[in-house]
Amino acid sequence: MVNAILKFVACCRTAGYRVSTSEVVDCISQLALINMLNEDEFRSVLRANFAKSRREQAQFDRLYRLYFHELRQDIDLDDTDATPQKMDQLIEQLQKQVRGSENHEAILDFLSGDPMGFLELIRRVQTEEADPEQGRKFNLGPLASRLMVMVQLNDTRSRIDRIIEENPFDYREETRGNLRRRFREQMDRAYDILLREPRPHNEGVQQRTHEQYLGQLGERPFSALTPQEIERVRELIDRLVRKLKDIMSRRYASSSRGVLDAKRTIRAAGRYDGVPIDIRFRKKPPKRGKIVTLCDISSSVFSAARFMLNILYSLQECFTRVHSFIFVNRPVEVTKVLEEEEINHAIVKVLREMDIDYNAQTDYGETFRQFRKNHMDTLNKKTTLIIIGDARSNYFHPEDRILEEMREKCRRLIWLNPEPESAWNTGDSEMFAYKAHCHELRECRNLNQLVAFVEELIL
Amino acid sequence: MSFNDVREVQEKLEGAGYVTSREIATVVFLASVTDKPILVEGPAGVGKTELAKAISRALGLQLIRLQCYEGLDESKALYEWEYAKQLLYTQMVKEKIGDVIAGAHNLKDAVDKIASHEDAFFSERFIQPRPLLQAISSEERVVLLVDEVDKADPEFEAFLLELLSDYQVTIPELGTKTAKVIPYVLLTSNNYRDMSDALKRRCIHIYIDYPERDLEFRIVKLKLPEISDTLAARIVDAVRAIRELGLKKNPCISETIDWARSLVALSVESIDSRVLADTLNMICKYRADAQMVKANAASVLK
Ligand SMILES: Nc1ncnc2c1ncn2[C@@H]1O[C@H](COP(=O)(O)OP(=O)(O)OP(=O)(O)O)[C@@H](O)[C@H]1O
Ligand SMILES: [Mg+2]
Repeated sequence: MVNAILKFVACCRTAGYRVSTSEVVDCISQLALINMLNEDEFRSVLRANFAKSRREQAQFDRLYRLYFHELRQDIDLDDTDATPQKMDQLIEQLQKQVRGSENHEAILDFLSGDPMGFLELIRRVQTEEADPEQGRKFNLGPLASRLMVMVQLNDTRSRIDRIIEENPFDYREETRGNLRRRFREQMDRAYDILLREPRPHNEGVQQRTHEQYLGQLGERPFSALTPQEIERVRELIDRLVRKLKDIMSRRYASSSRGVLDAKRTIRAAGRYDGVPIDIRFRKKPPKRGKIVTLCDISSSVFSAARFMLNILYSLQECFTRVHSFIFVNRPVEVTKVLEEEEINHAIVKVLREMDIDYNAQTDYGETFRQFRKNHMDTLNKKTTLIIIGDARSNYFHPEDRILEEMREKCRRLIWLNPEPESAWNTGDSEMFAYKAHCHELRECRNLNQLVAFVEELIL
Repeated sequence: MSFNDVREVQEKLEGAGYVTSREIATVVFLASVTDKPILVEGPAGVGKTELAKAISRALGLQLIRLQCYEGLDESKALYEWEYAKQLLYTQMVKEKIGDVIAGAHNLKDAVDKIASHEDAFFSERFIQPRPLLQAISSEERVVLLVDEVDKADPEFEAFLLELLSDYQVTIPELGTKTAKVIPYVLLTSNNYRDMSDALKRRCIHIYIDYPERDLEFRIVKLKLPEISDTLAARIVDAVRAIRELGLKKNPCISETIDWARSLVALSVESIDSRVLADTLNMICKYRADAQMVKANAASVLK
């Protein structure tokens, strides 16, 4: 049993789980405490120890099914025909044919009941990043290697068919039928693993489309506003920001008391003959986290971008530590501009004069790569990272793995999408890939949604 | 006070008004025999908090609850000195100071003599214990519920981690306090943010999802014994269908129960689209959600 668990752990690790030794030890000692013949209990123990978040569970469940139910298990087979041994005989023959091709060998090992090599191969294919050195910026890298594995699977399949046809060991017809069937089952599984790459479960993601009634204007999409309406919306945002600031300073005034302030207490006691009746506490400074925003200002979201910038501007006034970035195909920090200039100037400046190629093609992947390279240190466990954009990345490599890294670095990752929800995941939108890594994802295409978001963020 | 096996967990919790799946029961059982904390995750209203309460009822243990929020710090979670009391005592014993420094030859001597008594002012008498210290210093086993840890700051999480590794805390003026009995700890999280790997490693993890059909049926029957099987089944099926619609806020278990309760109160025996429309506010908190359910009444009531 211990051996089986250790092998399963090895599989989990190859599939990318972080399983520590202490968790393995815990798991094994806990198994001794339950009724292992009850599969619900058995699975619960493994799951409780190895898949420690909801996001990991879909993959865990698949791995569990694969390992304990679908992999070749020769024990429970009442097979007088010794099919397993015969399968091994054939696999051995095939191994001679493909010697030297690592992938082929991994596939054959999978057929003989050892999935490690194959899982490792799949993980490499899935996590492969575009290699900027070689200028391979398109999604093709991973696609190509997936295709290659598929070709190798097909090749293995036909080799199996051929060897059963050739029948080097003179098996009976019935045996050959059995072999064909069992090999087919295993091969189908291998295909499945390659094709059905599950996205991490992310039911924790909050998706919202809050309604709130600021009148008609609040519901109009940014892209449909007339110049006069734009002015109106500006005013409304202004008012909102002032209101929020008021609320915050009030909250500061009544905020919970801090530790005893000895100096002031003693001074106050002077009035009462030295008796410290009036105890003074130190006021705590308002505790506010850090915010980092990454705002797409490419032409596909241009009409929304100016309002987003408006919001960036006001966030900077409300929070003590804010870093603001804009991007088309790489991030440029604009914190200073927003800090130093009056709002309208700042926005014009950001939209026209920054060191950014406004006509470039939007590239989220490249933006994330650059962000990781140059700005990762702006993120820590206190940071709320807000990404504003439509996730339309012109079919460049989405680099959702980097987004996952960013999620792990920060406290909370919120994505605001100025497109209607019905348009997500259509065309070149990568929202589906990114969604898996967001704590919160909301449609944000009109004033009401924007206001609802900012209020929740601050209050 | 603990459980003997998984079955017993299920029975005792059910006796305490909480229906569990085999999986939840397994984790509860393991936690009770290995003294490990449980980290419970899951959507709102699936009974995370209730699980801790049910365990305390089932085992007859006191429940100590620490509600987390942003800005929660040690003085709110562990202990706080009662300054006012300390200062008032200082005043009250002012006259006694003469006795203490009697025989002192100079100022330094006097100060030393006073200092040798300062322990009196940093004793447990002047400590206001908060939930964590209460749980650690309890003579008997308690259930400690740390509710919504995901809302607390990372610093607090680090502090909690330390506490959960050896169940002891250090109060600088008093020394280290170690738990006599390790409390039964449950941490709940709504996934507002991710918990650190280190914390997860210390805990047995469980994700409570919306319940399976059969489980939810049993919960309804347990909470409302007078309800007929047919109506209970209809309600559970309808709620499950509603959860498939992709609403902004899915109806949770307590909403299923509330809905069932109002249908019983209205002496409804079967649910048609009229009844559904009239009682919809029990299950949908948003207008848009209610409209969505109305528009899909046919498939919900199928
Ligand atoms: N398994 C169960 N058996 C009996 N009642 C249950 C069960 N699960 C949930 N309930 C009922 O649902 C109600 C809500 O549960 P609870 O408050 O514990 O949810 P929660 O997961 O803590 O939610 P939140 O995330 O909002 O804090 C409980 O009061 C209880 O009546
Ligand atoms: Mg709760």
